[in-house]
Amino acid sequence: MASDAHAHHGPAYLAHHFETPAQQFDAAKLGMWAFLAQEVLFFSGLFVAYGIFRNWYPEAFSIGSHLLDWQMGGINTVILLASSFTAAMAVRASQVGDRKQTTMLLGLTIVFAFGFMVVKYFEYTHKIHVGILPGQYWGCPSFDCGTAAPEAFAEEVAAAIDAAHLNAGPGMVPYHLRSFFGIYFVMTGLHGIHVLIGIGLIAWIMRRNQKGEFSADYNTPVDIVALYWHLVDLIWIYLFPLLYLID
Amino acid sequence: MTVEAGTAVPSGDAHEGGDNYLTHETGLKSWLFTLDHKRIGLMYLVSVLVMFFLGGVMALLVRTELLFNGETIMEADTYNKVFTLHGAIMVFLFIIPSVPAAMGNFFLPIMLGAKDVAFPRLNLASFWIYGFGTIFAIVAIVAGSVDTGWTFYTPYSARADSSVIWMTLAAFILGFSSILTGVNFIATVHKMRAPGIHWKRLPLFIWGIYATSVIQVLATPVLAITLLLLIMEKTLTIGIFDPALGGDPVLYQHFFWFYSHPAVYIMILPGMAVVNELIATFSQRKIFGYMFVAMSSVALALLGFLVWGHHMFTSGMSEYATMVFSALTFLVAIPSGVKVFNWVATLYEGSISFASPMLYGLSFIVLFTIGGLTGLFLGTLSTDIHLHDTYFVVAHFHYVMVGGTVFGFLGGLHYWWPKMTGKMYDEKLARVSWFLVFVGFNVTFFSQFIMGSQGMPRRYYDYLDQFQPLHMASSGGAYILGLGFIVMAYLFWKSLRSGEKAPPNPWASAGYEWMTTTPPHPHNFAETPVMKRGPYDYHLCTEEELWDGFPEDFEAKKAKA
Amino acid sequence: MTEPQGTVQLPPQLSTIAPEVDDMYYLIYWISVVFFVVITGAMLYFMYKYRRRPGRKAKAPGHATALEIAWTVAPLFLLVYLFHMGFQTYIHGSVAPDDAVDVRVRAMQWNWEFEHPGGVIDEMNLFKVPVNKPVRVIMSSSDVLHSLFIPAFRVKRDAVPGMYTSLWFEATELTDDRECEVDADCPEAHQCGRNGTCALPLFCTEYCGAPQNIQDSAGRNTNHSTMMADVRVITQEAYQEFLELGPPPPPECEGSDDMMECWGEQLYAVNGCVGCHSVDGSAGPAPTWQGLWGAQRAFDGGGSAVADENYIRESILQPQANIVEGYTAVNMPPYRLSDRQIDAIIAYMQTLSE
Repeated sequence: MASDAHAHHGPAYLAHHFETPAQQFDAAKLGMWAFLAQEVLFFSGLFVAYGIFRNWYPEAFSIGSHLLDWQMGGINTVILLASSFTAAMAVRASQVGDRKQTTMLLGLTIVFAFGFMVVKYFEYTHKIHVGILPGQYWGCPSFDCGTAAPEAFAEEVAAAIDAAHLNAGPGMVPYHLRSFFGIYFVMTGLHGIHVLIGIGLIAWIMRRNQKGEFSADYNTPVDIVALYWHLVDLIWIYLFPLLYLID
Repeated sequence: MTVEAGTAVPSGDAHEGGDNYLTHETGLKSWLFTLDHKRIGLMYLVSVLVMFFLGGVMALLVRTELLFNGETIMEADTYNKVFTLHGAIMVFLFIIPSVPAAMGNFFLPIMLGAKDVAFPRLNLASFWIYGFGTIFAIVAIVAGSVDTGWTFYTPYSARADSSVIWMTLAAFILGFSSILTGVNFIATVHKMRAPGIHWKRLPLFIWGIYATSVIQVLATPVLAITLLLLIMEKTLTIGIFDPALGGDPVLYQHFFWFYSHPAVYIMILPGMAVVNELIATFSQRKIFGYMFVAMSSVALALLGFLVWGHHMFTSGMSEYATMVFSALTFLVAIPSGVKVFNWVATLYEGSISFASPMLYGLSFIVLFTIGGLTGLFLGTLSTDIHLHDTYFVVAHFHYVMVGGTVFGFLGGLHYWWPKMTGKMYDEKLARVSWFLVFVGFNVTFFSQFIMGSQGMPRRYYDYLDQFQPLHMASSGGAYILGLGFIVMAYLFWKSLRSGEKAPPNPWASAGYEWMTTTPPHPHNFAETPVMKRGPYDYHLCTEEELWDGFPEDFEAKKAKA
Repeated sequence: MTEPQGTVQLPPQLSTIAPEVDDMYYLIYWISVVFFVVITGAMLYFMYKYRRRPGRKAKAPGHATALEIAWTVAPLFLLVYLFHMGFQTYIHGSVAPDDAVDVRVRAMQWNWEFEHPGGVIDEMNLFKVPVNKPVRVIMSSSDVLHSLFIPAFRVKRDAVPGMYTSLWFEATELTDDRECEVDADCPEAHQCGRNGTCALPLFCTEYCGAPQNIQDSAGRNTNHSTMMADVRVITQEAYQEFLELGPPPPPECEGSDDMMECWGEQLYAVNGCVGCHSVDGSAGPAPTWQGLWGAQRAFDGGGSAVADENYIRESILQPQANIVEGYTAVNMPPYRLSDRQIDAIIAYMQTLSE
């Protein structure tokens, strides 16, 4: 039947419904950009919420940022920047058809991504353990509001209030620290989920690369996964100063 | 080798026993895991029709309860759940995917002369995500059910029981289905057009779906994050929307309507898109002011992002914001008007057939005009204050969503039914059902305009005695509407069972999708077509192209002449 | 007295802003009618004139850019005008005159509470309004979103928890408060309100839910659609008197021999005193009222007093002034009751000490 007569159609990587490899590549790239636009708007809701709450409750946000460990955030920023670099290098390597180097660079990217998650894990567990949590769980160590907060909780909050140099008395803990940490956990949590998805995607690409599916002619998946990874990096580049640095 | 469509059509192997997408493969698996956009479109169609039925049953329950004051068939809390489900099912599970996901999927690639959408696997994933979201919605309905209204306004929703989480998760997941479909269509329209289809030859159906896709990609993620924040508010108490935790309920409304107003255009643009095809085909004339109509879709898509605040004139928003949103809202009237004027102008000097799809197309113009004009009352600040959250608003958006989108959807369903199924339907019954739907709809909702301007608030279980006669009329209209749909279901069922075989181009349309065989070839066109003319260039079509019977009969006719 | 009549579309105009809003409404209405007639008229005419029939062939349209631009731009002028007019009335309705009476409205799930100047809190769901005097309503909500809507006044505004919102109106007609059994007994756009008299309806128009099996005093299931209040426009003199005397006794007590005792008992119930103070001598978070009247009270931190009128009055208005020994753990909030209401409570207490 004529319908199956497209076997002659072109290189093996060319899907049956495309006419040329260039069309296939352009479509994939455009699709990914459209998807990234959607990602940006997805996070933009959070950035707007951040902006509004920061505007309403500047003290809470100032103290909140001092409760975060900027050194850990800084390390993570460096790690993610490095991973973006290796991802970009991997694209380059796959474009010139260097399969071994591509695998190596993708592997490095994954290692960095895991490094990021490990640092994040330590940050999160500390906050949860001490009770620096959003909303009703504020001051509830490990989400257990039945037990009193450990001393570290009061100490850390007091230190942050000190560091923020506010005129308020030492006993004044702004109520809206709860909202700050609501925003903090949702933003970084969603970003973390994106990092995990990125790890999965890169691992998948790495496996396909090892199987020899990519070449100098065809490396679209490497390219678009790297695009996604750059966006994940970019979002962190905004999150880090907004949450950790500005006071 | 390519077939030069526009000179020699239809293409395909043979008309008797030729390969088509329905018979190409068989078995349940060949459907559930198909990558063929036509099969995916058909599966969407079946799904949205099931949801339309469910939502319709809810609507009839609501109208029955409102027949009389006091308890008619259910208690107040049940009533609140039923109207919430009616709204949520109709919006998220029916209208939003109706035209784009079902008909868009089926016809967008065909009308572009492409073999498939750009990302067939992603397309299948969208469908499965839709199914997955539907499961969540059903869990929400079964597990206690939601009574917040489809808008999930905080703080009520933040304190309502946990089935709200299931329903919002459902909407969240359905949102991603919608986003991925949008991404897919954008890439397809940009990159998959057959030779000869440049932007000025793009069918207006595609222009409409394209504009819709842009909104889906840019607005839906904001709803997703809003619902996610609501879920977080309910589980982690993050203090964003609930004032008891330091949040702001008006912020929720801003977020919600930033999506849900553009979503109104996600719903209406595809309806308009279908109507373009109907008006052109059944007037045998190129759409008047093609570029203006195309650009008005894009303009509506963009303006749709700037007017969300008109849902909140009474919410306690600042006077300045109110002013800006009111002014911008009026701008929406311009592209909407342009469309209506151009459709009417297309009829001028046409050759107008009143086949059932066209009856829906013409009804669309009338009903959408009413829906649009009543929008003026709501965009004007002083009158909106009186009319906001009354039945006037309910009637207004039903005229747009049902009179507009659903009529467009039904017109499209009748119009493309022969192409999709290969069967004709009983035209007489189709006209009867159209009549019942048209009359029933107007009786149901026109009475609600009057109730609303008299002050009947929406979402009320009980009402003052003065509204009794109009509520009765509205419910009576709803039963007529329901009867119309029963007749329609019967005629389509009859068509599937014993309908006559459909010729490739039963409506004598110049549209690209009619150039292929019926039902379409698995790859839409056996060979990539090269388009020599636009999709509405009736004056450039040969007699053979506009032949509404079977091709072999054309030969016979020609031989006879 | 001739009541202003409503029309098929709109209820009667009973506030100063109503005619302005209605003029706008009818302006848009007639514009819409014209557009609708022109559009559908043209459509129906073309449908007839160019119906498909043997030998009829469609003509291809040419370009008509001038026409396109005309019908794109021309409506713009109309729209700008509509926006301008609507905005003017809106601003008029947003900024209350300086001499307005401030009424605080608290919305809570399925009830409205109205607090008039001087802290006079009226019965739940009853809104007394002076005629021909601007009234500014300052709203808050103690739970979820609500919205105050009085159709005859053409005003509406959401009550939002965590913030204040306001609106104002000036009623122009006294309410015809004839006796009634059903809504149909009342003049147009009125409802048969509490105590079987007619009143203007005040609706909640922001959906606020429904509980299961909670019933109001009339035995109806309360929910969003029962969250209505009676608006009663009264003379300025009557309103002034109301402000001075405070809310009148409930109808079930009015006219009876022991009116004050009856009223006091009712206040004891509706103000929630019953939650802490028993009347049968049983222990609770706060002192029982049984035998309280005239007894010697010993205070926390020394001192004592006899429970007389002044003591009771102080305990209601400033509960923290003197706390009885043994009850330091409880913080009773101050209750803003009128003098007559306090008298009624005292009368009720006296019956508990006989």
